[in-house]
Amino acid sequence: MFTPAILDELRAAVDARGLIVDRNQLQTYECDGLTAYRTLPSAVVLPRTTAEVSAVIRICAAHSIPFVARGAGTGLSGGSLPAENSLVICLARMNKVLSVDLENARITVEPGVTNTQVTERVKSAGYFYAPDPSSQTVCTIGGNLAENAGGAHCLKYGFTTTHVLGCEVVLPNGDIRWFGSEHGLVDSPGYDLPGVFIGSEGTLGIATKAVLRITRRPETVQTLLAAFDSATDAAQTVSDIIAAGMLPSAMEMMDRTSIFAAEAAVHAGYPDCDALLLVELDGPTAEVQAQMAQVRSLCSTNKAWEQRLAQTDTERALVWKGRKAAFAAMGRVSPNYIVQDGVIPRTALPAVLTRMKQMSEETGLRIANVFHAGDGNLHPMVLYDAANPGEEDRALILSYDILRMCVDAGGSISGEHGIGREKQCVMSYMHAEPDLATMQRVRRAFDPNNLANPEKLFPTPRLCGERRHGAYIPHPIEAAGIAEVY
Amino acid sequence: MPTKTHSPATTEELSAILREASALGRTITPTGAGTKLAWGNAITTDDTISLANLSGVREHSWQDLTATVGAGTTWSALQSQLARHHQRVALDPLFPERATVGGILATNDSGLLRMRYGGLRDLVLGMTVVLADGTIARTGGKVVKNVAGYDLPKLLTGSFGTLGIITEATFRLHPLPAHTSTFTARSADIAALADLMQHLVTSAMSLEAMQLRNEPDAFALDIQFAAVPEALDDHEQRLRRLASKLSLEPTTVDIYTTREQLFAIPNATILKLTTLPTKLSALIAGFAQLAAHGITAQAVADPSGIVTVALVAPAAGLATILEDLRARLAPIGGTAVILQRGALPTDIDPWNNPAHPPAALDVMRAIKNEFDSHRLLNPGRFVGGL
Repeated sequence: MFTPAILDELRAAVDARGLIVDRNQLQTYECDGLTAYRTLPSAVVLPRTTAEVSAVIRICAAHSIPFVARGAGTGLSGGSLPAENSLVICLARMNKVLSVDLENARITVEPGVTNTQVTERVKSAGYFYAPDPSSQTVCTIGGNLAENAGGAHCLKYGFTTTHVLGCEVVLPNGDIRWFGSEHGLVDSPGYDLPGVFIGSEGTLGIATKAVLRITRRPETVQTLLAAFDSATDAAQTVSDIIAAGMLPSAMEMMDRTSIFAAEAAVHAGYPDCDALLLVELDGPTAEVQAQMAQVRSLCSTNKAWEQRLAQTDTERALVWKGRKAAFAAMGRVSPNYIVQDGVIPRTALPAVLTRMKQMSEETGLRIANVFHAGDGNLHPMVLYDAANPGEEDRALILSYDILRMCVDAGGSISGEHGIGREKQCVMSYMHAEPDLATMQRVRRAFDPNNLANPEKLFPTPRLCGERRHGAYIPHPIEAAGIAEVY
Repeated sequence: MPTKTHSPATTEELSAILREASALGRTITPTGAGTKLAWGNAITTDDTISLANLSGVREHSWQDLTATVGAGTTWSALQSQLARHHQRVALDPLFPERATVGGILATNDSGLLRMRYGGLRDLVLGMTVVLADGTIARTGGKVVKNVAGYDLPKLLTGSFGTLGIITEATFRLHPLPAHTSTFTARSADIAALADLMQHLVTSAMSLEAMQLRNEPDAFALDIQFAAVPEALDDHEQRLRRLASKLSLEPTTVDIYTTREQLFAIPNATILKLTTLPTKLSALIAGFAQLAAHGITAQAVADPSGIVTVALVAPAAGLATILEDLRARLAPIGGTAVILQRGALPTDIDPWNNPAHPPAALDVMRAIKNEFDSHRLLNPGRFVGGL
């Protein structure tokens, strides 16, 4: 707990209405989307301006108080899990769109603006904000920057980092600096500070403004569903599409268990098959039509036995609804499950799926798979029943074994969910000691006193010497059906 | 100890060289082909390390759209190897026949493809880098999507060899376009071309590249589409309607060498300017007006907001032009960087007016200090004396 003197300082910085110390209210902030890990913060502040954020961080720096930034708390890796005796700085009240510059396709927002609000603001002018994490209706831009949020359309449009031209950041000593361009210019000389800041999971400072690039809405969008009898055939189709020189805006795959769960939950009308492939093309009408004909022919060549083309917004929405519901729907086929976020080179897919099947047989635990086939981002779900003694432990071990297998296949332990608290102990499997030490140099340059979101992202002896347990428990907003995880 | 040039053949050899240099406190200039060694502050160092022997495409995983390549590989050698599978790194840097992957990454050079595919920082997935103390760090990864840890490849791209020496890089690839069509619209009225440019940018057509430039008697807008043949026909018809009041013809020049040709102009001073896309045409128009004052200025603008201009003028006039440009660009954070000094006096800072340092220079200095505390790698070469 903080001393009354510190609380007085915080109250002076953010006003009594911007400070939470009541235990019941603090519980709202004890976890993020990774609900298995919970720590009650000592206090929460809700600043309204950059100056208030700076004042708060100066107090933290003066008293060596660790601080943890938080947006909507939708993160899946425990990035905004409070540290012990920490202050949570929640940016939700900094939620204004500051300016829109359509001619230069830029928009400047505060960190508490939600991802969807950015698109809503520019939609009527024919633009959209490309990164589309599944929690987009509630997750905030500040959190998107911290996690370098992705989504289903990264294959063509890139990630959050592709779309941020500049950001105002309060450093861990309280100083306010612009990284990149305040005016949205590209390529100013200097180190790429936005590049290293975005995806740093709150360990280098707190973004208080962001200049984002908005994207012209494509003329035509078409989404194809194709049913296959084997994942290998579906994977071959993906490779053939790439080999033909096409760059779809999304390519998604689901296995039988995921299809079954999605069907049970939202009745998307998916065919009953072993592997479902979803291919979305967007662009000029003439091009989309020509390429879709080619995609369909490649599906046929690879023995797709059913193909459905969604052409209207409503038809497309139904197709996506099933895909997006796949995680939440898993509760229909298993009492408990753990979601993972590995990445593999796409060519390793058949081998990885075979190995995963073996792992499933060896452990007696089912694994369901949905994944972004275009960029090799797997979301394996380990299904188990916590009521069976020891099963949760085995499920957890299996889920980390899957991540290690992704690394062995030349991939990564996270494509979009981040490392946070959840995967920090697997970091040393992916990165050698000198690689992690090099990242720590960056950390020291920004935060020599280690106050910004400490004990996250990097493996620490304290947390990685002992193994923590935790299954996936749906986040309240997910359970309420406000957002889907995918 | 006399000046030495090292040419390591492996990352490990480079690491040993740097460990020794760092123990002796010797300063280092890393170099590839040396095509851009004149960029930045002029410095002299004890030793030079050439990456030329660290060349070759190590891996082209074409079905994954990735490739890993040694830093000493020339850009054209990389691209011709990737072209066997109809792929490329979607970037058109300067001097591709000679410039190396490492040097292009260190200087963050980019060309016309930036508008559609982004700059190098959007295309590089991973890097092996050797730090000043010999530490070998493998950063990023070999997959397109990866958020495991800080994005160090981005930090190192464009750091002008001041943080570490890149020995190998992994890129994400794009397909080579099978069909393109290229047109040039001309007009004496730059506003008409600026309008056309804005229309095209917001048209949702498959634009591959575009550049606005001045010619002796007019302004020109080069436009390239890349799409399936059906779409190209459609795009040409739409372009003809949009440009009905302008002269429009198929392009006869190679638009990808326009920028490089500026460097062949004798005695030219070459500047790289950054500004907002909507302010590009005013800059180009301003350069065209210099002709009335006996100053030759050839400028080419990329719609992303980057202008490269070649100026031939007496030294005093050049200094005034640069000072004026920097003053006019400063309010929107624009920059004017000297790429080739020509007749410009040597005491003018190539990066900026030192009275207007880049934002967060103190953070950049802290990073430099963590990576290279003894200031051995390209000391003082980069902006703000980094």
